[in-house]
Amino acid sequence: MPEVAEDYSLGLQVEVGTIDKKLKKLWQKGEGAMTRASLINLAVYSKAPGSLEKNTELIAKIAQTYSCRAIVIAADRKAKENRVEAWISAHCHVGGGRSKQICSEQISFRLEGACTNLLPSIVFSHLDSDLPLYLWWQDEFPDPMDPQLWAWVDRLIYDSQNWKNFDAQMRLVETAQSEAKQRIVLCDLNWTRLDKVRFALAQFFDHPGSHHHFSEIENAQIDFAPGCRSTAVLLAGWFGAQLNWRCEKTKDAKALRFADADGHRINIVLREANGAPVGKVVLSSGAVEFVVAPAKCGDLLEVSRRGRDEKPIPQMMPAQDDDPVSLLSQELLRGGPHQVYLRAVNCVRELL
Amino acid sequence: MNRASDQENVNPLREGLSTRAVPQPCSVVIFGATGDLAHRKLIPALYNLAADGELPPAVTVIGFARREKTDDEFRREMEEATRKFSRQPVRDEIWKTFGQSIFYHQSDFGDEPGYKSLAAKLDKIDQERGTRGNRLFYFAVAPDQFEPILKNLKAAGLNEAREGSWARVIVEKPFGKDLASARELNRVVHTSFAEEQTYRIDHFLGKETAQNILVLRFANAIFEPLWNTRYIDHVQITAAETLGVEGRAGYYEGAGALRDMVQNHLLQLLCLIAMEAPTDLGADNIRDEKVKVVGSLRRFAPNEVANSVVRGQYAEGAINGKPVPAYRAENNVNPNSMTDTFVALRLNIDNWRWWDVPIYMRVGKRLPKSGTEISVHFKKAPLVLFNKQSTEENVLVIRIQPDEGISLRMQAKMPGTSFRIEPVKMDFHYGTSFGKASPEAYERLLLDAMSGDATLFARRDEVEQAWTFIDVIENAWAAKKDAPELFFYPAGSWGPEEADNLLARDGRAWRRL
Repeated sequence: MPEVAEDYSLGLQVEVGTIDKKLKKLWQKGEGAMTRASLINLAVYSKAPGSLEKNTELIAKIAQTYSCRAIVIAADRKAKENRVEAWISAHCHVGGGRSKQICSEQISFRLEGACTNLLPSIVFSHLDSDLPLYLWWQDEFPDPMDPQLWAWVDRLIYDSQNWKNFDAQMRLVETAQSEAKQRIVLCDLNWTRLDKVRFALAQFFDHPGSHHHFSEIENAQIDFAPGCRSTAVLLAGWFGAQLNWRCEKTKDAKALRFADADGHRINIVLREANGAPVGKVVLSSGAVEFVVAPAKCGDLLEVSRRGRDEKPIPQMMPAQDDDPVSLLSQELLRGGPHQVYLRAVNCVRELL
Repeated sequence: MNRASDQENVNPLREGLSTRAVPQPCSVVIFGATGDLAHRKLIPALYNLAADGELPPAVTVIGFARREKTDDEFRREMEEATRKFSRQPVRDEIWKTFGQSIFYHQSDFGDEPGYKSLAAKLDKIDQERGTRGNRLFYFAVAPDQFEPILKNLKAAGLNEAREGSWARVIVEKPFGKDLASARELNRVVHTSFAEEQTYRIDHFLGKETAQNILVLRFANAIFEPLWNTRYIDHVQITAAETLGVEGRAGYYEGAGALRDMVQNHLLQLLCLIAMEAPTDLGADNIRDEKVKVVGSLRRFAPNEVANSVVRGQYAEGAINGKPVPAYRAENNVNPNSMTDTFVALRLNIDNWRWWDVPIYMRVGKRLPKSGTEISVHFKKAPLVLFNKQSTEENVLVIRIQPDEGISLRMQAKMPGTSFRIEPVKMDFHYGTSFGKASPEAYERLLLDAMSGDATLFARRDEVEQAWTFIDVIENAWAAKKDAPELFFYPAGSWGPEEADNLLARDGRAWRRL
């Protein structure tokens, strides 16, 4: 069964009009040995050269923890010919001590020239019915955006870290969101990147006895890797949005300034340092420092609270891997709305 | 069922995070720390919680046991056990910090000075590690040890928390062996700890699929309107094991399948299947509804037991082609033992919803397959169409373990020109759809107890109501005159024929697992 790809190949090339028939045949061949599983339709769109092959590899890995029907699309608007090519494949793995393989199916398209306009039609004709549609848009959003495309999207996934103009892009996304017939949840992988750091920081304040520190925070420091300033600013936006701080203008590019409800100033120093997208984070509240820093091993965070008369008890917590598979898997597993994200964005919008 | 009662003041930074709030820092004192439960379940569960970042760093584990041991020796033993039994591989970096939170306290359970020194040790830990006087005592010991431990905890003042702190106790099953002993046990526990401080653990309730029963029933609008006597013909609950008594003969001889499994696990599952919707997910609201189910179980008169309950014991046979001895030939088992290794029951719930819907339960050792599942059998469609061809009923199956999932059997037309109808199955497997491993039941339950959430723990009245029901059966079996017969079944079979007859009399049959 060559179509059952573990080598990340695109699988069997098929005529677009025969996709359903060929998929059916694929599953018939594997009957008894394969179980088709799907929780969502996951459409992935990219204009980058070689993206079809790269995304096939990503989907194969993601499907191991999150079964889906993947629709992978590569678009080349500048191609001279108008052409659509399609492939079908299955990503299978054996899980849970079962003898049967658990498989997710993938339909891949290469759209060239004017055929790139067929995107909504391509996506809609190949959805697995009744399952939500997640659209992972790997490029900058075009202006204007095709309103048809948003008609069925439940979650729009993107990575704002790559955006050249955050405000313009965000406005396009927000327009799409407001024009959509249903609720679209905006999922920014740049926000997902902060999940574990936010978790590590939040746990310092779960005990009501530590809540007084919120009003005593004076300074913070956020280290970020080159190219990841927006991730650090988003983290600062999260503090601001959740702790009711107002962002103030400052001329210092390396620092952010906030004021709390009582007018107390909070300075956040942003420091570029090699390493994780967001590295060491320190919150200083009076004599106590709350520190979250990447551990040497790379995939853990060292978390500690340091006070004048306190003996620090270090703790290791999971860190967020920065690779797209981990980020997307994390996003798919968590679900739910992202109101906090939107509040964080709005708090620091002008700085992003 | 994901609330942390201790965190009433909401942490704004917690909003929108997919993980729950970490519990307050505390000391977890495990009595019987050198035993099997601590090695296989408790320490690995605590490690997994720490590795997932679900515990605050200050959480401290104190193993309390009789044997002489240093902290380092105990840590090494626990590390070895965790490496062997943990759901996720042990990371050296995490163990290094987690291991430093483990301590050992040597004392006899009945030795009062040992508790005074424990209190001093806990105070020191509070100061050094910031555990804030919060204490969770885990009784991983036989019930006959409860009384001395509780008495000494009280004498050392450890049952009462300082202001702003808490003290809780987790009690492992068995919660007694009959109503009288359960009441006595509850009395003993309550001499030192109030009911709201007491967490009776039933690990079945910590399983993801058991918790999913409430989601299936109350988050899906299609099932609840059908969930009553009008549409349901009967319900079956099966808990089958291929294993024999293994090393538990000493305990099992005095317990048997009815006490070991039915009184707690199976009745808890029945409660989740049969309860009314609670007003909210508050621990007591859920438990109030569960108690009503047990309270509505029709009590047997002593002379009805033989008609509604079948007890069995495995004789020699074969499991997976391998010969296995009879129960009576197992080590430490009385050669004339009358202990039940299999029970099948026909129950009725006397309330409006379940009137005239029999509930069939069976539990047994040395059965051909291992598996726990609940099947809800709906009434058949009227036979007016399709040439009056008899059809199978719709069956909704909730698989608790292994291969957790849900399936629905329905009728479908076979391809062809005639109306031939065959049953087909829609099947949902957790493992297929969600690749992420579920936490172990003990992880969830330990975290809940630390957070003060008692939803998944049995309350005193639940336990006592269950024993009231079970005692009638046990007393009938123990009667000197006219006691119902103990039937023997070959190991590797589905129990004695009489268990099949229990359903056959009603025109039904056990579901094939």
